Amino acid sequence: MAGGNEVNLNECKRIVPLNTWVLISNFKLAYNILRRPDGSFNRDLAEFLDRKVPANSFPVDGVFSFDHVDSSTNLLTRIYQPSSLFDHAPHGTVDLTRPLSTSEIVPVLIFFHGGSFTHSSANSAIYDTFCRRLVSICGVVVVSVDYRRSPEHRYPCAYDDGWNALKWVKSRIWLQSGEDSNVYVYLAGDSSGGNIAHNVAVRATKEGVKVLGNILLHPMFGGQERTQSEKSLDGKYFVTIQDRDWYWRAYLPEGEDRDHPACNPFGPRGQSLKEVNFPKSLVVVAGLDLVQDWQLAYVDGLKKTGHQVNLLYLKQATIGFYFLPNNDYFHCLMDELNKFVHSIEDSTRSKSSPLLLTP
Amino acid sequence: MKRDHQHHLFQEHKTMMTKEKEEEEDGNGMDELLAVLGYQVRSSEMAEVAQKLEQLEVMMSNVQEDDISNLATETVHYNPSELYSWLDSMLSDLNPPSNADYDLKAIPGDAILNQFQIDSSSSSSNKRLKCSSSDSMTVATRNGVADTTAESTRAVVLVDSQENGVRLVHSLLACAEAVQKENLTLAEALVKQIGFLAVSQVGAMRKVATYFAEALARRIYHLSPSRSPIDHSLSDTLQMHFYETCPYLKFAHFTANQAILEAFQGKKRVHVIDFSMSQGLQWPALMQALALRPEGPPIFRLTGIGPPAPDNFDYLHEVGCKLAHLAEAIHVEFEYRGFVANTLADLDASMLELRPSEIESVAINSVFELHKLLGRPGAIDKVLGVVNQIKPEIFTVVEQESNHNSPVFLDRFTESLHYYSTLFDSLEGAPSGQDKVMSEVYLGKQICNVVACDGPDRVERHETLSQWRNRFGSAGFSAASIGSNAFKQASMLLAVFNGGEGYQVEESDGCLMLGWHTRPLIATSAWKLSTNEMVAL
Repeated sequence: MAGGNEVNLNECKRIVPLNTWVLISNFKLAYNILRRPDGSFNRDLAEFLDRKVPANSFPVDGVFSFDHVDSSTNLLTRIYQPSSLFDHAPHGTVDLTRPLSTSEIVPVLIFFHGGSFTHSSANSAIYDTFCRRLVSICGVVVVSVDYRRSPEHRYPCAYDDGWNALKWVKSRIWLQSGEDSNVYVYLAGDSSGGNIAHNVAVRATKEGVKVLGNILLHPMFGGQERTQSEKSLDGKYFVTIQDRDWYWRAYLPEGEDRDHPACNPFGPRGQSLKEVNFPKSLVVVAGLDLVQDWQLAYVDGLKKTGHQVNLLYLKQATIGFYFLPNNDYFHCLMDELNKFVHSIEDSTRSKSSPLLLTP
Repeated sequence: MKRDHQHHLFQEHKTMMTKEKEEEEDGNGMDELLAVLGYQVRSSEMAEVAQKLEQLEVMMSNVQEDDISNLATETVHYNPSELYSWLDSMLSDLNPPSNADYDLKAIPGDAILNQFQIDSSSSSSNKRLKCSSSDSMTVATRNGVADTTAESTRAVVLVDSQENGVRLVHSLLACAEAVQKENLTLAEALVKQIGFLAVSQVGAMRKVATYFAEALARRIYHLSPSRSPIDHSLSDTLQMHFYETCPYLKFAHFTANQAILEAFQGKKRVHVIDFSMSQGLQWPALMQALALRPEGPPIFRLTGIGPPAPDNFDYLHEVGCKLAHLAEAIHVEFEYRGFVANTLADLDASMLELRPSEIESVAINSVFELHKLLGRPGAIDKVLGVVNQIKPEIFTVVEQESNHNSPVFLDRFTESLHYYSTLFDSLEGAPSGQDKVMSEVYLGKQICNVVACDGPDRVERHETLSQWRNRFGSAGFSAASIGSNAFKQASMLLAVFNGGEGYQVEESDGCLMLGWHTRPLIATSAWKLSTNEMVAL
C-alpha cells in the first residue's frame, strides 16, 4: 500500500506546478487533522489555521472591497468592485448612495465559497484573492457570501443563507445598473458553493427572482452509487472518497444517505426542472476530480430538461486549479467566465445546443 | 463600448499572465503566489516543504488515530503561515524526541476562571512548547528590505443597513477636508450640519458622529482640551469601566500574560516591568497562574510604572499593596516597586535595580502605552534602547490596530472615523448602564485627542502592527509567536461578552488580533531580543 501511495504522490506532483501542489497538499493535511472520526469538527483550530485577509477600500490592482455584516446572523458578505466604476469617489471611502451605473449593465456575481460546506470563509485569503481576480479580469462586481457551515449547521441552512443573500443583493440600490436600474445577478460557486448556487437558483426560479446565469466550478454533488471516476481517482489527486463521505455526513440531515436531493439533485429522489425557467449554466469540471461523474450527470440532467448548459471540461486539471494563476486552465476559465457574464450585454446571442469546450 | 471594455480587460489579463509567470518571487525570495494566499514559503525551500508534506502524509497513514487527534488537541500550533516550521513542528510531534515535555496549563486566574469553565482537553499534560525556529530569521530578512512606505489599507465594515449613516460619514469627511484646507467658514457650516444629521441617527453612528463633530469643532475654534493632571485619575476610572464593558482590555491582558507565562517556564525568580501599570488589572491573573505551576510559583517581582497623579497621590503604592495582599493569600513571594515617570522616556535601566539575568528573568509589558511616545522625537528609540539594555526574556506589546498617526490630518481623521465606528458598534451589544456610558466617554477622549490636538499634546498616535513590526525589527527584536492554545482560550474568553457574537480572534504571523467582525481592532505581539541580528541577509 505504501508503494502505491508513493506512485500516486509522485504522479500528482508531476501534473501540477510545485507551489500549487504544496498549497493543496497543505490544505489536505490540515483538513485531515480537523475532521474527527466521530463526525465532529475542530472549529477552533480551523479558525486559527485559516489564513484570512481584511477588506480594503483602497483599490489594489484596480479592485477595492468592503464588508457588510448582518447583525442578526453575524454572517459576513464581502463586496468587491472595480475602482474604474467610480472616477469621482474619494479613495478609501464607500459610496452607497448611487447605482453602479445608469447607462451600462454591470453584472453582479454572487459568489459562494467552497470548503465542502465545512471550511473557509469569504475572508479566507484563497477566496479573497480569487474574487479580486474575478473582478479584475471580468469587470464584474462580486459579492462573496458567507453561510452557516456544517457540521454545526446542516442542510438546509446553507441554502437558506444563500437565498437571503440573493434577496439582499437584489434589493441594494447601489448594486443596480443599466438604464432600467436592475440588479443583474449571476450565481457562482466552487465545490459546495456550486451546489449552493444551484439550489438558490432553483428557489429563485420558483419564486420568480431573475438570475441571469449559474456558474458552477467543480460543484460538489454525489450519490449513493460509487461511480467509475470515484473508484479510479480515489486518493490520487488530493481527494478521497472517504473525505467526501465525511462532508456529506456532516451536511446532510442525520440518518440521510447520499441520494438525498441536496447531494444528488437529479438522482432517484431528485426534482425535475422540466418546464421551469432555470437560468443558463456554465459548469466547469476538472478532469482529475473524482467527483466528475456526478458533475457530468448534473450537466446531463440539465440538458435532458431542455436547459442551456455550457460544459467546460478541463482534462488534466485538479481541484483548486483556479487558486493560482500559474496554469493554462486558470486563464481558460477566466476567458470562459468573461464571455459568460457579458453575454447579457450581447443581445444577438442565440440559444444553441450545449457547448462542449475543451482546450 | 462594452466590447471595448471586454477587449481591454482581456488584453490586461494577458499581460498579467506573462507578468505572473516571470515574477513569481518577491524581494525576499518568497513565492509570491503563495504569499498572497497567506503562506510564506521561500521558492528555494519549496521542494523541501513538499517533502515534509509527503513525509507527514505517509506518517499519518501509518500512525494510530489517537496520534492524529493529538495533533489537533494536544499540539500547540504556531504561525501556520510559516509552512516550513509548522510542518517541522508536526513532524517532531509525531516523532517525539527524548526531551522532557513541559507542562503548560491554561491560565486559570480568578478574574477569568469564574467566568468560564476550562476546556478539559486544554488542561491535560504533555503540551510541548514550540517557538518557531525560523522566526527570527524570517523577521530579520523581511526587515532587511527596509519598508519605509506604509501601504494604506482600510477595512470598512458596515453593519446592517448603514446606508443611511453613509451620508453622515460623507459630511464628516467633507468637514475634515475643509479643516485640512483651512477653509474654516465652510468647516464651521458643515460641523453645524453634522450636528443636525447626527441627532437623526441612532446607536453607534450617532455617538461616534457626535464625538467626531465635537472634536472637529474644537479644532475649528482652537479649543484644545487641556491636559491637566486630574485627567490621569479620571482616565484610570474610565479605563476600568471600559475593562468591564467589552473584552478588549481583558484580551490584551490575557494574551500578554500567556506569552509571559510561556517565557517564564522553568524560571525560579521572575520580574515583570509594567509600562502601563494603571490599576494593575493585568496582574492578579498572572500571579494566580504562577501560583498554580506544578513546580510551584517563582518569586514574583513587579515594577509598576505610571504617570504622576493629582496631588501626587501615590496610587502606585496603593495598587502594590492590594497585589501584595493577593500574593500572600495565594502563597507567592512578592516584591514590588512603583515608579512615577512623566514619560517612559525618562526611564533608564539603571533606575530599575535589575538583578543579573541568570538569577532573575525579566518580562516587559506595555498595553496601549508605546504609541504615546511617538509625539516626541527620539522618545520611542530611547525606550526601545532601554528595553534592549534590560534584556528581557519577553517584551509583550498590545496596541490599537490602526494608523492614527499620519502627518496628513484628513488621513488620520478618516482612519480613526472608521476605527471608532467599528469599536462603538461593538459596544452596542453591551448592557446599558454606567459602565457602557463611561466606556464611550473613555473612547470619546481618545477621539478628541486624535482629531483636535497636535504636537506633543497629541498622544493617541496609534500605529498598525505592521508599522510596529518594522520599528521593533530595526531595534533588534524578533517576534515570539503566540500559539493556538492562547488563540483558543482567548476565543473562549470572548464568549462571556454577548455570547462572543461578532468578536473575532485572528492569528497573524505569530501575533493575535481581536476585532469586531472582520475588522481587527487591537493586536498583541510578543518580542525577544534577536540572538543574531545579521542572520538572513
